[in-house]
Amino acid sequence: MSDLTNIIKKEMKELLTPGSVASVLIMVILFACLGGIIGEEVEKNTAVPVMGIANFEGQDVDTVSGEWNAYDALRDIYLKAGVKEADLDKYIIKMDKDNLYSDLASSDASFALVLDDDFKKDVESEKQGVIEQYYIYQPAGMLSGTVSATVANYMVSQLNSDLSSMLIGSEEEKEYIKFLTTPINGATTYTYVNGEPNKDVTPSDISNKLTGQTMFIPMIIMIIIMMVGSIVISSMGSEKENKTLETLLTLPIKRTTIVTGKIIAAAAVGLIFGLAYMLGMSFYLDSLTSVSAAASQGVDLSKLGLVLGPTDYLLVMVSMFLAITCALGICMILGAFAKNYKSAQTMTLPLSILAIIPMFITMFSGWYSSNIALKIVLFIIPFSHPMMAMDALMNNDVTLVLAGIAYMAVFALVAIFITVKLYSSDILITGLGQNKYVEMLKGLGKKKKHTE
Amino acid sequence: MVDALVLRDVRKSYGQREAVHGVSLTVKEGEVFGLIGHNGAGKTTMLRMISTLLKITSGTIEVYGKDVAKEPDAVRELISYLPEDAGAYKDMTGRGYLTFMANFFASKADKDEMIAKGIELADLGERIDSKIDTYSKGMKRRLLIARAIMTSPKLAILDEVTSGLDVINAYEIREVIRQIAQSGVTIVMSSHNMFEVDMVCDRVGMVDQGNLIELGTPEELKQKYGKDTLEEVFVTAVKGA
Repeated sequence: MSDLTNIIKKEMKELLTPGSVASVLIMVILFACLGGIIGEEVEKNTAVPVMGIANFEGQDVDTVSGEWNAYDALRDIYLKAGVKEADLDKYIIKMDKDNLYSDLASSDASFALVLDDDFKKDVESEKQGVIEQYYIYQPAGMLSGTVSATVANYMVSQLNSDLSSMLIGSEEEKEYIKFLTTPINGATTYTYVNGEPNKDVTPSDISNKLTGQTMFIPMIIMIIIMMVGSIVISSMGSEKENKTLETLLTLPIKRTTIVTGKIIAAAAVGLIFGLAYMLGMSFYLDSLTSVSAAASQGVDLSKLGLVLGPTDYLLVMVSMFLAITCALGICMILGAFAKNYKSAQTMTLPLSILAIIPMFITMFSGWYSSNIALKIVLFIIPFSHPMMAMDALMNNDVTLVLAGIAYMAVFALVAIFITVKLYSSDILITGLGQNKYVEMLKGLGKKKKHTE
Repeated sequence: MVDALVLRDVRKSYGQREAVHGVSLTVKEGEVFGLIGHNGAGKTTMLRMISTLLKITSGTIEVYGKDVAKEPDAVRELISYLPEDAGAYKDMTGRGYLTFMANFFASKADKDEMIAKGIELADLGERIDSKIDTYSKGMKRRLLIARAIMTSPKLAILDEVTSGLDVINAYEIREVIRQIAQSGVTIVMSSHNMFEVDMVCDRVGMVDQGNLIELGTPEELKQKYGKDTLEEVFVTAVKGA
């Protein structure tokens, strides 16, 4: 067995303990369960709504086109939405106006429409008829309340247009009224994507379709970097605390072998844990993005040229690999200053901040919408580049991706160079307290005080 | 007799503070050499420089003719260092730890022999297959000494090897050191336990504030100062220094 294999094996054994594996598995299961619950809620809110209607009997409105009844009109709306006739009573529940609360509470209906006692009389005398909406407040999360109110308003507007067309009468008159109310048709949209105009597509349709990707990729990269970083720094802290590092450094093995072994093992374990989190997170995010994705089902990204080819994926992978290497380089440097396991834990903070900043910027703003200051911040932090790579490649901006790769390569080389230097210096053993430069600085401080 | 370890005017500074002031000494092959001094006297710094862990500010250190500063890799082939309060990887078993260490030194055939030697030296019985986390301090120290010696180093460097151990465990560890010394390994050990050094070491170097203030066999030093114990010699030497 080579020295490198021996170190990698030891590191991986230390990192993949039953405790660490169990904690990751629990997180994955929690994410998956949370995703399931949210998915169920979303499904509930996007399914055909159940509603109640009261006080519609005996309120058939006489129109030039015949009699109009609110209940029958609602049945037609549901039939057009694909509900079978036999199931209509499950979706439109007849309720008693005097017992509305109990009827609403005991049913699955999320709202009820109640016709005013004078509805028929008012409409026939060319006055607006009143239909009231009733809800029961339940602290059921952010989706349910909004969705039921939207659906109720939609039903009222459908009833409005249905009754309106009955009141107008002939088709010619209907067309004329339609022209009078909406003389301008502004429904046709075009969106330029990479310079090409695309009909009936809006930027928000594209954003909705890409929501999964724009949220998912930065989060996963952030998790992998934080995971890998925490592993390396903790491993260094633990080695120092147990004084195993001193023993390791006096063995007949090259310092570069120790550094490489630690980096490879941490990267491998970090990737395993990261992939596990990715799996759990995908369940969670799928449920969050299903609503927006459903809203933009008509958008075909491949027709818009917003898909990546094999070369693009290769560039994204190179970008990710270099970002992880940069993270490991930073961690090896930070880990060298850790006194023990506990202090090592606090040292992961700078890395976490460096990973979180680009994640939020790319999720909420992105490279192209950012101002120059944010762009500088994004470019300097190496972890931003894989987060931005997919968007940039879809935007045919290969230059940004290549510049990021070149920057990260230089960053990683510098970080590894510093790490190897640190491993060959006294700092690893004595810490910063006894470093000659720190001592010199202290000396300068004392001298200054003395002269004052 | 071959010189196992030679220090020539060795100095170590941290910024403007000098921790070791021009120490020179020679340890012959097969000798058990003890460095004694109070806490912070500079013993550990000297041992860490010999072990290639700390850089030497000036002067030279040679281990069997190899310069520590110029040929650290070659020196690491010859030495075995046991730091003060050293630990082992807690999640490993005693056997797993010895195997991990043996992998750095030996081929497959030699490795089995090396591990068997380590297990014999550790003398932990069935507990060799228990996790190190469950070991007492004495058991851990036995395992670590076994690790340091099983590789047959030419020079073993042991820093405060019995510190924090109870009487029985300390006695047993001293017995192990005697056995190792009889097998021809050169030992450099540090301690602030004068009784232990008197019992185990062939020659002694007394360190105070980074200076080597006395050098000789325990008997020579006792005669020189007209004292019965090394402890009395040390106190007198330090006060007179």
